[in-house]
Amino acid sequence: MTPEDTARLCEAAAQAVREASAELRLVDCAEVLEALAAEGHFAEEDTIGLEEARALLPGLLAAHPALAVLESRTGRTLHHAPEQLSRTYARILDRKGSPLLLMAEEIRANSRDYPRPVPAELFEGPPFELPPEDIAHAVAAMAESPDYQDISSVTTDTGAVYLFSSQHMERGYAMFLAEQTESLTLAP
Amino acid sequence: MAAEKTRTCIAQAASAAGMDTRLSRRGFLLFSACAVSSLAALGLCEAFGADPPLVVLDNAKGLILADPSRCVGCQRCELACTEFNDGRAQPSLSRIKIARALNYGPQGPSGGQDSRGIWGDGLVVQGVCRQCPHPVPCATACPEGAIVLDPKTGARVVDAKKCVGCRLCQRACPWGMMTFDEERQKASKCFLCNGKPKCVEACPSGALRFVPWRDITREGPPPMASIRVTTAAAAKDCAGCHIPATKKGARR
Amino acid sequence: MTATPGGFAGRVLRVDLSTGKFSTQDTVERYGDVLGGTGLGYQVLWEEVPQGTGPFDAANKLVFATGVLAGTSVPCSGRTAITAIYPSCWPKALVGSGHMGGQFAAKLKYAGYDAIIVEGRAERPVWLFVRDGHVELRDASHLWGSGIRRATLEISQEMGADCCVAAIGQAGEKLAPLATVVNSLSHSAGGVGGVMGSKNLKAIGVQGSGCVRIAGDKGQWERLVKFHLSILGANNQHVVPAFPSPESEYYSPGSRWVGEPGKRWGAARPPVEITGSIHSMSRIAYRTNSAAYFLGEQAWKHTVRGNGCTSCPIRCHTTLKVPAMATKYGLNEIAQGTCIALNFGRFFFPGLPGGPKGQAALEACMIGMNMADDMGIWSNYGQLQRDFIKLANDGVLQAKLGSAEYSSIPWDQWRAGDPAFLLDLIPRIGERRGELGNVLSQGSGGPFDHWGVPESAWEADRATTYWKMGHPKHHANEDDGQCGVIINTQYNRDAQCHSHTNFVRNGLPVHEQKRLSGELWGSPDSVDAPGHYTRMNPYKARRAQWALIRKELHDCLGLCNWMGPWVASPLKERGYRGDNSLESRFYSLATGRSLDREGLDLAGTRVFTLHRALTIRDMATADMRGAHDHVPQWVYEDPKGAQPFTQGTIRMDRADMALAMDMFYESMGWDKATGAPTRETYGRLGLDAVGQALAEKGLVPGAEK
Repeated sequence: MTPEDTARLCEAAAQAVREASAELRLVDCAEVLEALAAEGHFAEEDTIGLEEARALLPGLLAAHPALAVLESRTGRTLHHAPEQLSRTYARILDRKGSPLLLMAEEIRANSRDYPRPVPAELFEGPPFELPPEDIAHAVAAMAESPDYQDISSVTTDTGAVYLFSSQHMERGYAMFLAEQTESLTLAP
Repeated sequence: MAAEKTRTCIAQAASAAGMDTRLSRRGFLLFSACAVSSLAALGLCEAFGADPPLVVLDNAKGLILADPSRCVGCQRCELACTEFNDGRAQPSLSRIKIARALNYGPQGPSGGQDSRGIWGDGLVVQGVCRQCPHPVPCATACPEGAIVLDPKTGARVVDAKKCVGCRLCQRACPWGMMTFDEERQKASKCFLCNGKPKCVEACPSGALRFVPWRDITREGPPPMASIRVTTAAAAKDCAGCHIPATKKGARR
Repeated sequence: MTATPGGFAGRVLRVDLSTGKFSTQDTVERYGDVLGGTGLGYQVLWEEVPQGTGPFDAANKLVFATGVLAGTSVPCSGRTAITAIYPSCWPKALVGSGHMGGQFAAKLKYAGYDAIIVEGRAERPVWLFVRDGHVELRDASHLWGSGIRRATLEISQEMGADCCVAAIGQAGEKLAPLATVVNSLSHSAGGVGGVMGSKNLKAIGVQGSGCVRIAGDKGQWERLVKFHLSILGANNQHVVPAFPSPESEYYSPGSRWVGEPGKRWGAARPPVEITGSIHSMSRIAYRTNSAAYFLGEQAWKHTVRGNGCTSCPIRCHTTLKVPAMATKYGLNEIAQGTCIALNFGRFFFPGLPGGPKGQAALEACMIGMNMADDMGIWSNYGQLQRDFIKLANDGVLQAKLGSAEYSSIPWDQWRAGDPAFLLDLIPRIGERRGELGNVLSQGSGGPFDHWGVPESAWEADRATTYWKMGHPKHHANEDDGQCGVIINTQYNRDAQCHSHTNFVRNGLPVHEQKRLSGELWGSPDSVDAPGHYTRMNPYKARRAQWALIRKELHDCLGLCNWMGPWVASPLKERGYRGDNSLESRFYSLATGRSLDREGLDLAGTRVFTLHRALTIRDMATADMRGAHDHVPQWVYEDPKGAQPFTQGTIRMDRADMALAMDMFYESMGWDKATGAPTRETYGRLGLDAVGQALAEKGLVPGAEK
């Protein structure tokens, strides 16, 4: 493949990733290749070109400045364009199939980065969309599971449940922050 | 002389339209059921040059649509219209009109209980130039022919060089959309900002959209009595197309 | 200062109600150095209102003043300050300002004025007609006793649909210290309504066909306005959404950016769905929904739209439609408000069926908005409601009201959390009826003066959130540690400063906030994580100084300090930076008078220091530290006994706060012992005459008698 062809392939692939991201889809190299083939990027029966592209694509996408790589919980290597689909949101989407992991990782990231505990009802809305009973079950299941021992909850005076990771936050602080957040809508 | 000129123009129009130039004027008009709009659609008005006998403007190409259910009453459209075009913030001069209906709706404070606006049901009814099709009230009323067509957008635009500040256009507009710049003593109106209306860009709620033109002049009763003052010369020209109907049918 | 080709309207209107005479002054020549707004107000008070003047004396002056940027398309520029000797300041009334948005500021500019100074007292009720430089006093006897809604309607019938009316209701007429001036339905200036009432001035109607000129290049102006729009967040300049979004790396459940795609203005016809990019310039108005923020998801179905001040795209006032209001209470189905005014009704109840975000809470808020903004009652940032609850629960009301009055109050409704209770309570306060209405409408000073309640009891009880001088905290240590405390010591009413809290609650994770604050104030240590405060340092002092100066500056320019300053932004590509020089860039372009950030901040410092000077003069002491800059006892306590500077407490430490005040005074050029500006500082700020006058009274450090 000539350098020009490689550059053309790279941009076409990036565009395919962008389009998928705009539709909130994370894609792996195989899916990108499929999309390119469907668009007619490759001449018919150009199996050599296709194979070359297959070999080059992971490196090209990983190096592209406008794209990001996500190592999926399923082991796949996925790509997205952060401008259309943020890293944070991409990670949430990736974990949607696994409610415990989905909740736990979000709780850990919030506890570590902001830092703050997460209101349980956050997981009811998009993009999590977990029914309240499932959230309650998940919290109970996490308490039993060795992988999620750090996930814990506090309940405020107003009855709101907030979840935090003890890896990153102490219980007392979690309770303080939870009550503070609840108080914001009670005192402008 | 004027009649002669008119006949010539019509003949030219017919010829340009590929119609029989030997048609009598009456015949031409009867031949084409909506001769005037055909004339307009054929873009023939400009063919008459600097001294058009007919105030027949082609339809505009674009229109600002205003949705009251999205208007949040911020007046950023009025401010963009005047600040960005005139270098001063002056809603009284704005070519899109919000302030007059913001508080009590189009009925005003003496309109009674069920009003719109902030003190009524909250709805803000915006005032937007309809870029009227023929007959364009403001253009027809202007004795100087100062309201002309913008070739790019089809907007009806006040040519400030020709405007003498007589304010007849203000009285003619059924929607009260003409503005008058007291400082410059010139009329002004919405000119669609050369195809990229600043009010549309400024609206933070998407209540304004710039869309392909259509005739909205028959939608809803206009709030003002249009006092149309047509100059004698213009009236004569109107008579050129608007001839009385005959009892007998067209003679071919 | 000579006239500028833009920005200023150019004239200040003086109305002497005692004589009925009008006069004008050149704004820039006379008041250019103090910019406008509160600056203009403080200068008038300094020069013309003698020490000892009472709030309801004819000698008090009421200064309605907006600023250079009002009336333009600068986002968030619809503000008017109203400055006077302030009635609810206790025990002695001192200089203070109320602030209101709406349309008044812009309309005043178009009418040709930057400010209206109201002097004296009319013999009988009047209202002031202002249109395009034509001014009249008209008879208001037919309006006296009416609410603000009716007064606005009838004045609008005389002036025209596009006038803006700033009016008082019954509370202001009856000289309640907790009275507001209201324009445009829900935009209320706290505390100053009674001053207007004491002058027999029912309302001011402003209308104009004039303009605000932009001196600079209009293309450059347009670009700057668009830049400002691009760095806006949602209400209070919260720069991340409250919900995870594919368009944002960060989100914060506590953010006021609640307008998630998929939600809708449910009471619009047809409903308006929120669609598109959350960063789109034509979707800014959908980001904020104050009703949903405070009252929960139920508010969306009642939301007609957002509303607010001229030129502001944020629309922090939510217009709500609740049909039950007509059927259950005989009130308007539609009401509008934000923040504390939106919550006026709900906050009277210790408990409500369905909780703070249930139907009863919604109805209570609707009643509150309708009635309080019609009668013109101020909540004193919720202190009215907190005082009511405490006085009721502590048995003070039962002891002090007399059995007839006490038993006439429907306490069962209150205990049951029935919103109908407000139909009885609010008019008592608004009309100052009975012991309850008369005393509570005075603010916290009322119970202190009349019911034997010691101020110290309030200072010791964190539940009151009482701070000092008759007013509560307003974004103090609960939001921002030492910065918040410093800020809350400085005024003669609740601080009304949001510069600091807009930043620390903007929703960015603390490491981003620290990176930004390092750039802005010299060190990442200028900001702490919430409830995890560290010891005082000079950078925090610098940030507190910045917060106060910028708030004062906004109040002088007509800008909204509930949105600005705009030093953080939602834009990842800018590293979430905003622009710390935005105010000076706008000022320079608008007026044609070039001032950089430091130059404009110097003017803001001048104005803030003039407030300090007025306070010193009228308290007749330079010992601000001892006599004025108080911090209540509860700030130094924690209900669970947690120690200061540990994780999970907002408890402050006395020695550390003393150091904080030292550092703040030093950064201001004030004497460390007293917190009074030095002679040199007055000089540096162009306030020589002020410094001289105070020195003669022994009120400047080093010049004590």
